[in-house]
Amino acid sequence: MNAPLYDFYDIRHVYRGQTVLSIDRLELPRGGIVGVIGPNGSGKSTLLRLAGFVESPTSGEVRFDGRPAGPFAPEVRNRVALLPQEPFLMKRTVLNNVAYGMQIRKVRANLSERVAKALSYVGLDGREFAHRPAYALSGGEAQRVALAARLILKPDVLLLDEPTSSIDALSAQLIKDAVLKARSEWGTTLVIASHDWQWLYGICDTVFHLLKGRVLGTGRENVLFGPWEAMEAGRWGRRLTDGQVLLVPQPPEPSAAAVIEHAAIVQPYGSGGDGAEQVTLSGLITRLALEKASGAIVASVLIANLPFTAALTEAQVRENGLYPGRTVALCYNLDSVKWV
Amino acid sequence: MDFLLQGLLTAIELLRTVDAETFSAVYATLLVSSQSLVVTLALGLPLGFCLGYFDFRTKRQIRVVVDTLLSLPTVFIGLLVYAFFTNRGPLGNLGLLFTLPGIAVGLTILALPVVVALSATAVEGMDRQLRVTLVSLGANRRQLFLSTLWEARHGVIAAVLTAYGRVMTEVGIAMMVGGNIKWQTRTITTAIALETNKGEFAMGIALGLVLLLIAFGVNLSVSFLRKRY
Repeated sequence: MNAPLYDFYDIRHVYRGQTVLSIDRLELPRGGIVGVIGPNGSGKSTLLRLAGFVESPTSGEVRFDGRPAGPFAPEVRNRVALLPQEPFLMKRTVLNNVAYGMQIRKVRANLSERVAKALSYVGLDGREFAHRPAYALSGGEAQRVALAARLILKPDVLLLDEPTSSIDALSAQLIKDAVLKARSEWGTTLVIASHDWQWLYGICDTVFHLLKGRVLGTGRENVLFGPWEAMEAGRWGRRLTDGQVLLVPQPPEPSAAAVIEHAAIVQPYGSGGDGAEQVTLSGLITRLALEKASGAIVASVLIANLPFTAALTEAQVRENGLYPGRTVALCYNLDSVKWV
Repeated sequence: MDFLLQGLLTAIELLRTVDAETFSAVYATLLVSSQSLVVTLALGLPLGFCLGYFDFRTKRQIRVVVDTLLSLPTVFIGLLVYAFFTNRGPLGNLGLLFTLPGIAVGLTILALPVVVALSATAVEGMDRQLRVTLVSLGANRRQLFLSTLWEARHGVIAAVLTAYGRVMTEVGIAMMVGGNIKWQTRTITTAIALETNKGEFAMGIALGLVLLLIAFGVNLSVSFLRKRY
């Protein structure tokens, strides 16, 4: 078995007195595509900044290729590239922005051709864009130029922080195509944080979930937020906007976050029922996506305004006639609710 | 008003004929201001970068001190430098009193807070994502420093121009530390003060015109460079 490319060991990262990342152990494989999902503020960007060696953890160690590494370390400086959530372009032309990484590596040969090629990866015409000032670009174009500035370096690892958020659909598709091209052409390891879980499940070998700075698991978990209130018969729950009640065991505090590890679509709505330990809720399938790594089909079910996910087999989908737009019953055991 | 007009005409004549005394003062001014600016930039830009870039516990207090030093009276700097360079002073053995390098030292003390404070402000105003971008593209510490200064270039140039303006037009330090010695340490500003006291307006106006021309030339060059980069 290959040694992991990254090994996050006993990481604690603190911003202004608040712990934003707390990872006992996390390994990221070499050469794969790793997805990171989680709500805003869950620590995704912090994790990527640590993986990109842009900053050091408050405590703990990030090992790269088996060795501890940090910002400016020569063994990682030219191998890892991070595309932050908000792309920043310097006050230069597109050509000089894309060429910057090559210039600081003292690569001078065929720079214009290399820039044009990198721009072509992200669907931009070098002749049209190379001499434009950065301020004259749209948001989607700026994001693509920022990606081109990373792709020109042909990095061993490309870390992408919400690469397709807040840009138009065409730019998002071009970015998705470009990063997969980097993966197939140069064997670049991709680590992608995104809210677009359908895309992540479709391309990633591994997906994990971050919540409140902690790694939860494979990313299929349903994360639910309070406030929780005491209900009848000593139960706790949250009343949803459509009148259904999301029941949970007694929380450690009313604002605690809950994780349901195994939610299941029992069958199309109408045939499900409450068991002693089970909670059944009615919801609408909004999306079905194939999980590349396991071959499972991951369904997104909207209950009131809350998105849930559940894994299905191809046979379950076929036999129950599940498709986006169908109302179904989603079921979980109270025992499977964990507090984080 | 006639004497002003007469002074202007005489000034043009002095400049046209490359009057030796006038140009001695111009040379002294350009020399001390350039020397002091070189030292100021070498010290002030890294210090300004650190003050604007890094977050540390005493940052605010240091900032207050630097901002206060912006209003240091030039005669006070002149007095301190004089006291250090005089024979009885701790640096008297250097023999810098009444010399152009002595004036340059005083002017450096004057310009340093200007460059530190204004370049720190320029760097502080940069987008925080700049660091992430530069480091993630593989910049080392030196490249990070230089690229950040380059991105803050308009603010840094403003700092340099402001400092240059201060040292060029300064009179108190040049007078006290330099002694206004003809052909030796007489600068444009000390010459203007002296000639005005003597009632020789022509020379004063000529020197004033030279100061304006230098300022115009510097600003024109900077404007050209700004447009290009």
